[in-house]
Amino acid sequence: MAEIVNFYESSQKNIEKTILLIVGFIVFMIFFAYVIGGLIGDSTSLVFFAFIFSLGSSFVSYYYSDKIVLSLSKAKPVTKEEHFDFYTVVENISIGTGIPMPKLYVIDDTAMNAFATGRDKNHSAVVATTGLLSRLERSEIEGVMAHELSHIGNKDILLMSVVAVLVGTIVLVVDWVWRIRFFGGDDNNKNSNGIFLIVAVVSAIVAPIIAQVIKLAISRQREFLADATAVKFTRNPNGLISALGKLNQDSEKLEVANRATAHLYITNPFKVNSAGFGKNINLLFSTHPPIEDRITRLSNM
Amino acid sequence: MMLSILFIPLLVIVGVVFYAVSIYNFLNSTKVRIKASIQEIGNQLKRQAELIPNLANATKGYMEHEQTVFTKLTDARKLISSAVDSGDVEKMLQANEQMMQAMPAIRVVLESNPELKASDLVKDLMRNLTDTSDKVSYARRLLIDLTADYNQKLVVFPSNMIANMFGFKPEVGLKTPESGQHIEVSESDTVTPQINI
Repeated sequence: MAEIVNFYESSQKNIEKTILLIVGFIVFMIFFAYVIGGLIGDSTSLVFFAFIFSLGSSFVSYYYSDKIVLSLSKAKPVTKEEHFDFYTVVENISIGTGIPMPKLYVIDDTAMNAFATGRDKNHSAVVATTGLLSRLERSEIEGVMAHELSHIGNKDILLMSVVAVLVGTIVLVVDWVWRIRFFGGDDNNKNSNGIFLIVAVVSAIVAPIIAQVIKLAISRQREFLADATAVKFTRNPNGLISALGKLNQDSEKLEVANRATAHLYITNPFKVNSAGFGKNINLLFSTHPPIEDRITRLSNM
Repeated sequence: MMLSILFIPLLVIVGVVFYAVSIYNFLNSTKVRIKASIQEIGNQLKRQAELIPNLANATKGYMEHEQTVFTKLTDARKLISSAVDSGDVEKMLQANEQMMQAMPAIRVVLESNPELKASDLVKDLMRNLTDTSDKVSYARRLLIDLTADYNQKLVVFPSNMIANMFGFKPEVGLKTPESGQHIEVSESDTVTPQINI
């Protein structure tokens, strides 16, 4: 049996986790700067810079995570005329739940997927791929959108979007340091070798930590809870069940998704279920419960 | 010792006041939301009352008993309009039932004229009707949920004491259960019937 989490508790936890995550991010960046700075011999200014930088990017991630995520995903705003069912179904759920109408976007991709982002229910956006909208029926789109709107109602979206931006920033910074070691280290070979070693070690440590952070933040419970809330919104489990069934059949990878944004989507956008290297990566980054489990739970409601 | 004796009743009073204020605010804001949801039902019924005559107009050339249907629709539309203005949700839904009585006749015409049913205008009107009836049922549900929450606070201890103190009255909400009179355009309606000869 699933543990019982009520919506108030769940949204309270999301706020706590968001704060914890931002503090953790700042601490990590300062520590990283301290280690790198120690090797260069100027840790004070680098630590100061890292502090300002991490503070700034936390601020940005709070206010602009949705815009960053939207532009990373190449999402375009939609009108009612273009996507009648998508637009009106979200409008209807908004009427029924009192959640303000989110802004709507599409990703031009034949893979089927959807996600919600934003910092609170007054600043939220729902995104669907054109593949999803064209291949699902109205009642199925309704199920998927009810799932996304319950992420908005449960205050999941802030945490999930902040995770996306902060994790993306860490990946970016580690990447920068790599490049600096290759292009800027000519004058001082001794130091740059040291940096190389440290960066290699740090990168090896950072990757699994990031994976762990995403997993912690995006507990699988959240997806089950959103599915259950979706049914409460639409009173029609069959819409979501058959939508999930179709999403499960879809084997296409979503091009615009990356590791930092994968957890936002309703189903895993990478679709690597086969054996081999892909499977390990998938397990490490598995932020979504298996669709079969979700369908079983919905069928039992 | 003296301090704590004074402090405890003070804490209790503060707690009670906070509770009373939150209940008072909840009841008042729910009342506003109930009104808004009734308004929403009215808006959607009005929209429906514009769509159905349009649909009837689109089928005009194919109608056999034209006049009766159109006068019925005009009457029903007036009735809905005045019911929505009165803000009485029961009246609105009753007026709507009358409007819905025209639907079977329109449906018969559409079913027997596939080329009409396939026209862009009719398709557009039909999907707007489906959406409108979805919106009505979502708004009804919201009204039912809000009324239940509100009325529960009025009878459950200790919130009932605060409600009584400020003279809150129970909300009527929806009396009649949802009837199956909505125009349901299911997927099977939109595919052409298979005929085995």
